[in-house]
Amino acid sequence: MIRIWIVAFLLIFFLANRVYAKSDYVLPYPSNMPGGLSYKLHLLYENISKYWYFGDFGQFDYNLKMADKYLVEAKTLFDYKQYLLGFNALQKTDSYSTNILPHLIKAEKNSKDVAQKKMLLKEAMQKHIEVLEEMKNRFPATFIWEPEKSAPTILNLEEAFNKSIQLREKIL
Amino acid sequence: MKKLIVILYGIFLLLFSFFSYTFVDPNLSYLKNLYSDFAFSQKLLTTVFYIFLVVISFIFYGIFVYLGIKKKINLKEVALLVGLTILILIFSYPAMLSYDIFNYVATSKVLFFYHENPYVVMPIEFVGDSLLAFTHAANKIALYGPLWIFLTGIPYLLGIGSFIVNLFALKLLAGAFYLATVFLVWKISKNIVPVILFALNPLIIMETLISGHNDIVMIFLTLLSFFLLMQKKIFFGILFFTLSIFIKYTTIILIPVLLFVIWRTIRKKEINWDNIFLSSSLLMLIAFLLAPIREEIYPWYAMWFLSFSFLIQKNKILLYISLAFSFGLPFRYTPFILTGTHAGLTPVIKSIVTFLPPLAVVIYFLINKKLWQNFYR
Repeated sequence: MIRIWIVAFLLIFFLANRVYAKSDYVLPYPSNMPGGLSYKLHLLYENISKYWYFGDFGQFDYNLKMADKYLVEAKTLFDYKQYLLGFNALQKTDSYSTNILPHLIKAEKNSKDVAQKKMLLKEAMQKHIEVLEEMKNRFPATFIWEPEKSAPTILNLEEAFNKSIQLREKIL
Repeated sequence: MKKLIVILYGIFLLLFSFFSYTFVDPNLSYLKNLYSDFAFSQKLLTTVFYIFLVVISFIFYGIFVYLGIKKKINLKEVALLVGLTILILIFSYPAMLSYDIFNYVATSKVLFFYHENPYVVMPIEFVGDSLLAFTHAANKIALYGPLWIFLTGIPYLLGIGSFIVNLFALKLLAGAFYLATVFLVWKISKNIVPVILFALNPLIIMETLISGHNDIVMIFLTLLSFFLLMQKKIFFGILFFTLSIFIKYTTIILIPVLLFVIWRTIRKKEINWDNIFLSSSLLMLIAFLLAPIREEIYPWYAMWFLSFSFLIQKNKILLYISLAFSFGLPFRYTPFILTGTHAGLTPVIKSIVTFLPPLAVVIYFLINKKLWQNFYR
């Protein structure tokens, strides 16, 4: 009987370390995917809209929106085995995620109540981690991308996923 | 006799202004000393009193229009009445019938105080801001054009951090545009009757000088554009027309009219301005009737077509329909004042008071075509 309890305890302990609380945060639908002219136009629109989203809260919204968007884009591209493009999207979502918190700190310094935004960010990052964990388990640890006319690229996907997860855990 | 009418009108305006303060919002901490709870606890009495005031306002309106038609009132006297109306109603409580003015203040605060884009960030995101207690559409991003948002920067700056000063400076802004529009109506028509029809119309007065709606700014810029086009100044005509679109977008619907006027001007052909005002009024009436697609028909939307229909000299049917609308629309507020709810019978009553008067005019017009035939003579 004691053995069963020990096994159960170990199982719960092990799983508790691995499972993250499910977040109710909703990620957007996948938008334009790389490859066409519309994607380039979309990138241009994104760069311009960075100025439209001025202000601390505006920049918070913009960076969070972009972080969400590129995470979804990365996931979609990985699903279609477009690992190099997916890898690039992963770098982008990380870059935008890094930009979120400084704007919140700036807003706090400007005497804005950021409690709700912090909560939103926490939920978003939890969702991101959920998605990244799932991706890490589903996709290969490394991948050699061999284009027809240039040198192959070794993509260390596991390392990239770990880095993305750690980055978000820091924000949490 | 006229002196007595002016005195009575002044007393009436003071009474209306005083009555507006019975609607002070309980959450409006800035005016807590003026909060009486009267409009919210004595609903029936408030409704009766409101109906009485609206009816009286239209009796005065009828008298002024009659005096205008009979040429028993001159421009100076009309100017005196307009001045009196502005002077008294500018101090009335602005959120008596609509809370839009609070949205104007909240939106300008998002831009000028918090330095955020009001088209991206909603006022509700500034947790703890005192405006949130009484601003009704704090959960919406800016609904109006960028020019309007920049214009609200003037009252914001004049307010020097005081909400009340900001609020009344916004009313002053609306009052200034109302005065400028009255002047334009005179410049365009050179006739005292359209000036009276526009300037002393109870609906226009209530929605502009009490509630401080920005529609008056949009109308002013459109009329200014038309006035400039009458002087063959195409560039400035287009410029001010574009600016009017950047206030509230509705005047987009008048683009075909504008293009027609420009085309006729370039080709040096004569323009029948009566037809231009008729077409503009009809198009704006369509925009007004289509308002339920977005939300609902708000009484102040009538300003869109009223301002043009008052300028029509020959074809009178639209003028009478407009007058009938302007009579019925202030009563759209009554079911809510009485019941405190937008549900139940409120929408039905709103529809009846909106459409019954113009419908009655159409039926009456069909029966007796000769009615009002000598209106301007």
